[in-house]
Order: sequence, then structure tokens, then C-alpha cells
Amino acid sequence: MKYIIGLLTTIFLLLSYTTPFAKEVYPKFTVKGFGTFGASGTDTDRLGFRSDIKQTSGVTEDWAIDTDSRMGLQLDVDINDSWHAMAQWVARNSTGDFFEQNLDWAFLRWRPRNDLDIRAGRLGIDTFMLSEYRNVGYAYLWTRAPHEFYAGLPVYHFDGVDIAKKYSVNDGTLTVKFFGGRSFTQVPTNVSGSAEQNLVLAGGKLAYEYGNWNARISYNYSQTNNELAPLQPLLDALNRPDINSVWPDAQYFVPYLATKNQSVHFSSMGLAYDDGIWLTQMEASYTDTNINLYPSVANAYLSMGRRFGKVTLYSLFGISESIHNPVKVSNPLMPIPDVVQLRNVTDQLINTNGVDEKSISLGLRWDVSQNIALKTQWSHYWLGNDGVSLWLPAAAGPTPDTVNVWSVGMDFVF
Amino acid sequence: MRNLLLLLLLTMLSRSTLAELAVITHMKNNIDTLSTQQVQDIFMGRTRVFPNGKFCLPIDQSSPLRAEFYQKLTARPVEQINAYWARIMFSGQASPPQQLPDDHAVLQTVRENEGAIGYIDKIHVDNSVRVMLLLK
Repeated sequence: MKYIIGLLTTIFLLLSYTTPFAKEVYPKFTVKGFGTFGASGTDTDRLGFRSDIKQTSGVTEDWAIDTDSRMGLQLDVDINDSWHAMAQWVARNSTGDFFEQNLDWAFLRWRPRNDLDIRAGRLGIDTFMLSEYRNVGYAYLWTRAPHEFYAGLPVYHFDGVDIAKKYSVNDGTLTVKFFGGRSFTQVPTNVSGSAEQNLVLAGGKLAYEYGNWNARISYNYSQTNNELAPLQPLLDALNRPDINSVWPDAQYFVPYLATKNQSVHFSSMGLAYDDGIWLTQMEASYTDTNINLYPSVANAYLSMGRRFGKVTLYSLFGISESIHNPVKVSNPLMPIPDVVQLRNVTDQLINTNGVDEKSISLGLRWDVSQNIALKTQWSHYWLGNDGVSLWLPAAAGPTPDTVNVWSVGMDFVF
Repeated sequence: MRNLLLLLLLTMLSRSTLAELAVITHMKNNIDTLSTQQVQDIFMGRTRVFPNGKFCLPIDQSSPLRAEFYQKLTARPVEQINAYWARIMFSGQASPPQQLPDDHAVLQTVRENEGAIGYIDKIHVDNSVRVMLLLK
């Protein structure tokens, strides 16, 4: 880690001595970055608010800065006219290996012609409008990517290839993109520590940009390659003959906790309009899975904003509803405490993974200078009975029906 | 708050000064003119070639002229242009045009590079470059 920081500093110092001259001199190195410094808090101590499910800690009545603050550093290398390399690393609140999991981009790009890009290496996932740049707060209006839509996605990147081709269609630009590869993501679990998730994925998108309009549809198929290791002791216990003698249904619940060789289908569409004064954006998606720990879910959001000079006022409405049937977990024949506890943990794991959330937000973005924006946002969440898995349980007992979240922050690019 | 908004509006208005900007290219560039849309596509990174298929090298400025240029070209304040580029460059799609400090540096670079395209205040245009578009 120290070595990498030292290396980056050296590169940066070397680069700052280059003189401004526009003749393309190869290889050309550029260092740039982005960041958000933000604080947020809620009006409950019973749930922790986090900006996505890869975060291990959330904010409560006690305000904190680690839900929204992050900082990214990017190195670009123009090797020649058609070859380019890039690496981007983001310091943020996340689960797992601090260096490896936060390296979001590291790829080599080949541009054999003006309208064709082929990239290989570590890449952002282009499944949704913001999924390639949801860390870059300066690039969007809100304090954070819409919660109902983006908080359920722990995967930020994959290792593989993508191919994008652009076409001129009726004065607009049509982009067709395909991607495929593998991803390794460490996710927090309620059981014990983090779990490792291996996926094979492939997908594509179709995007059309015309004047003030931007529209896209996309699809992504993922297949899980492993069982979640922290669940293994539980699975072993459910399979034990002595446990099945007191609780005959125990083994029946094993498949409900399985994550290996399961499929996940993400389908989405998005539309954005921005005429310089008014801006609106919406996305809708459906995630179809047969994993009980990550049930099928329908998400959507709609945002509208208006600019008044350097100040933009906005509103945002979001909804996320899991679509799954509760599984009735039977009781052991005899109330042996250990077996009852096993039963309860099983019940909790199978039945409390849903999301049942709606929210409305009002906010303000103020572009105080050409690379700094100040933001403040108030969000009011309605949490239904079907699950609060986007949040962190901060205390045992019933969860609140409504939560207010307040945030202030500063986004910058350099 | 109202005073603040008024102040912001005034700043916006006072920015639209009277300078006329010229979009310039190398003398050997054989295109007659470029439309506002074509110049937009080049400076927003949507294309890397001129309409005749030749490779282009857009040159931006780091001077106050930059805000004026994008306001006139896209009818959007420069902050929105910067937010647009933040999305494009931090998702590894493209890099924004290189910035030079002033009209003099742009003029010199455009004279020396056949593919270059830049913008300067019209009063600094001489007959060593070609004017492709005037932005009022």
C-alpha cells in the first residue's frame, strides 16, 4: 500500500513538470481524481443507513462521514493514437481487501477506428446508467446514486472484455456494447464477517444519444460460482443426522441457502433529458434470481431538477420491491435451545433478504466553482414489512416504518 | 437567499461579454466550414475525426474564454460541461481536450498541427489559420 502511494506521488511530481504543448507526444501520462466529502445522519438508532450493501457500517442518529465520503485517483496513459491504458482506485467504505476490492478500473483499450472501442482488463459494469461512475458524485445531481436502484448492487467491476461500437443514426449517436468476464466481490454477511462471491457474467447495452435526450436499455446475465463460505457451518448443521432426528425438516432448507450455480438476470431501461435548465432522469429495472439470499426485485426512480444559475434544485422518488414468497420454516419436535436457535437463524436468512422501500428526496446542488459542487439532501424513507436488507440492523427489535436521512457534502474533481 | 440568487443571475448575465469567438484550424484543412453541431461533437468527444474523415486534435483553453466558448457553443454553463467530462473520463471512455493557457498558445499550436482545431477571440485571428465557425 505504502509502495503504491509512493509510486503515485512520484508519477504525479514527474508529470507536473511537463510543459503545456499540444503536439501529441507519446506516451502521455495524466493523473486525475475525484472525491466526495460528505456527512449524513438519520432520526433512528434502530437501523444503519448505508449507500450500498457493500458497506459494512452505516449512519444512525449519530452523524458520520464514511457512508458518503470517498476519493478516487486515476492514471491515464495514451500509448499512441489507438492504444490507451487506465487505472482507477477509490478509497471508500467497503467490505474486503482494501486495495484489490477498491481497484475499479485497470484496462488496456484498443481503438482501431474512430467508432470502435475494445477494452480488456478490469472494467466497470455498464448495466445501469450510473453503474460505471456511481462513485463520481461530481458527475451527477444527487448526494448519492438513487438508493432504491443502486444500493442493492455490491458489484462495482469485473475482469474481462467489452466492445463498444458507435453509429450515427438520424443526427444522434447509437452505441452498441457487449461485455463479458468474471467478478470477484467480497460482501458483508449478517452471519459472520465477509463472504466471497464469484460470478461469471455477460451482457450488453443499447444507448441512443440525441440532442438533449439520452436513452438506454441493457441486459446482464450473471451466474454464481460458489457457495458463501460463512454459511458452510450452518449448511453442515442442517445436514447433520442428529439434528434431523429432532428437527426432521432441517435438511429440506439447505437448497434455500444455496448460492452455487444460480442465475441472475438484470434487465433495465433508462431515459434522461437535460436542456441546460430542466433535467429529468428515470430508470426501471427488474432483477430475476432464484437465490433466496438475493431475491428477485423490481426497482425504479424518477428525478426532476431545475437549474437557477449555479444552483440546481431537485426532487427524487425511488421504489424498490422484492418479489418473493415467504418460506415457512417449521419448528423442531423438541424445543432444544441450540436447535431452536438454528431454526431461527435459518428462518432469518431465508426470509429477511427482501427490500420493501420507497423514498422521496429533495435536494440542492450548488456549483461553487468550476470543479467543486456543494450538495445537501433530505430523504424520507418508507420501509415496508417485506425487508430492510439495504440497511444495517443497528439494534435488535422492530425496525421503524419511516426514516429521515439528512446529508451535506462537497464533490470535487481535479 | 433571494439576494444570493439575484447575485448569481447577475454573474451569469455579465459573463456574456461582447467577444466573438472564432473556431480555427490549420491552413491546409480543406473543409470550408463546420456547423455548431459538428464543433460540439468534436469538443464533447463524440467524434475524433473531421467530417472528411481526417483525425482531429481539439485544443481547449484554461483561460476565462473557456466558459464563454461552451456557453456559446452548447448554451450550457461550463460547470455542466465539466460534470459531463467527469462522467466520460472516470468511466474510461475518453479524455477531454488538452488545455492551453491563452489565445497565443492556441494560435501557435493550430498553425503547427494539421489536425488541430481550437478557438480564440476573433480579434486575434490572422491569416495563418482558417476560421471554421464564428460564435457570437
